[in-house]
Amino acid sequence: MTRRKFIQRLIKTGSAVIAGTCRLAKKVAPRKFVRAIKVKSYPGSLRPLRDIAKQSKWSG
Amino acid sequence: MTVQCELCPKMCLIEPGQSGECRVRINIDGVLHSVVYGFPCSVSPYDPVEKKPLFHFLPGTRILSIATVGCNLHCLNCQNWDISQKNPEESTAAFLPPERLVQLAKSNRYLSIAYTYSDPIIFYEYTYDTAKLARKEGIRSVLVTAGYINPQPWKELLEYIDAANIDLKFISDDLYRRICTGTLKPVQNAMVMAKASGILVEVTNLIIPTLNDKPEQIRELARWLKTNLGRETPLHFSGFYPRYKMQHLPPTSLKTLEMAREIAISEGLDYVYIGNVRSKEGENTYCPGCKGLLIERKGYTILQNRLKEGCCPDCSQEIYGVWK
Repeated sequence: MTRRKFIQRLIKTGSAVIAGTCRLAKKVAPRKFVRAIKVKSYPGSLRPLRDIAKQSKWSG
Repeated sequence: MTVQCELCPKMCLIEPGQSGECRVRINIDGVLHSVVYGFPCSVSPYDPVEKKPLFHFLPGTRILSIATVGCNLHCLNCQNWDISQKNPEESTAAFLPPERLVQLAKSNRYLSIAYTYSDPIIFYEYTYDTAKLARKEGIRSVLVTAGYINPQPWKELLEYIDAANIDLKFISDDLYRRICTGTLKPVQNAMVMAKASGILVEVTNLIIPTLNDKPEQIRELARWLKTNLGRETPLHFSGFYPRYKMQHLPPTSLKTLEMAREIAISEGLDYVYIGNVRSKEGENTYCPGCKGLLIERKGYTILQNRLKEGCCPDCSQEIYGVWK
């Protein structure tokens, strides 16, 4: 193995290890939240309030 | 980046683009978002407060009741599964931010707003902001919840809450795990904290045939309530109907509910009710002192209310509740 190939392999391996460690770190130390931020749009469909406001069929 | 939601004991680890178990708290670009804030899927202007059920809180009044989709528990017997176990993208909602909701309550002269049907814990921020605003406008806030929440956010929310009906589903951790994908201890802690905070607390226990209808289970639940929340805490034994993933079980009989009520009373609880099934005595409030009839109910209707300034008119005993 030439010195150039050795260095290339070393850089590749090093990069892979660093990337893997970062990825693992993100999973191991996730950002923690109690409160959530509100979104601007609803992922489902929206209707006027008059279509929603009616006698509920649900218990509670 | 993965986020962790620390709102409830599930402590969900959420990958980018994914939601927690509740379906409504989503990791967007490494930040936790609530996709149901200001988007209720149900707004009911007609509910009587007795339907929550709350029997010791402004009896005979209507309560503006809202819910969003989602829930942090997945009870096999869920009565409201068509909203609690639904993804937001499959649902329909109205845009009703806290300011508009409180304005709606104010302009229609509601005394209180209920956060109910699914579980207000999962639309925590919406509930919190609305309750805070409602307090400023003199409108009270009521939670109808399973109480599956971590202590710190619960404490912060309780500051703006006036009453809660908390579901104590089972007095067994094993049943909580098997039937609801939850655990018992956090619920018990939440109940104790709510009572200690000074808000009005009522408790519901749904009696499911073969699961939690044995006299010893009912006795254990009543004893725990009396010891930890006090004998004055109203307890509602609610009748089960086959729903969702528990359609193989029969509905709870009136006889079982009456047996449960008798046991809880014999254990020393002052106010024990029967719900979801018509019952003559199980819907009424009686004075724990002289045993006289105080509030007569038929379903959600108040037939007579004999309370005088929150006291028994016959023996003057003070009755636990928020009466005006």
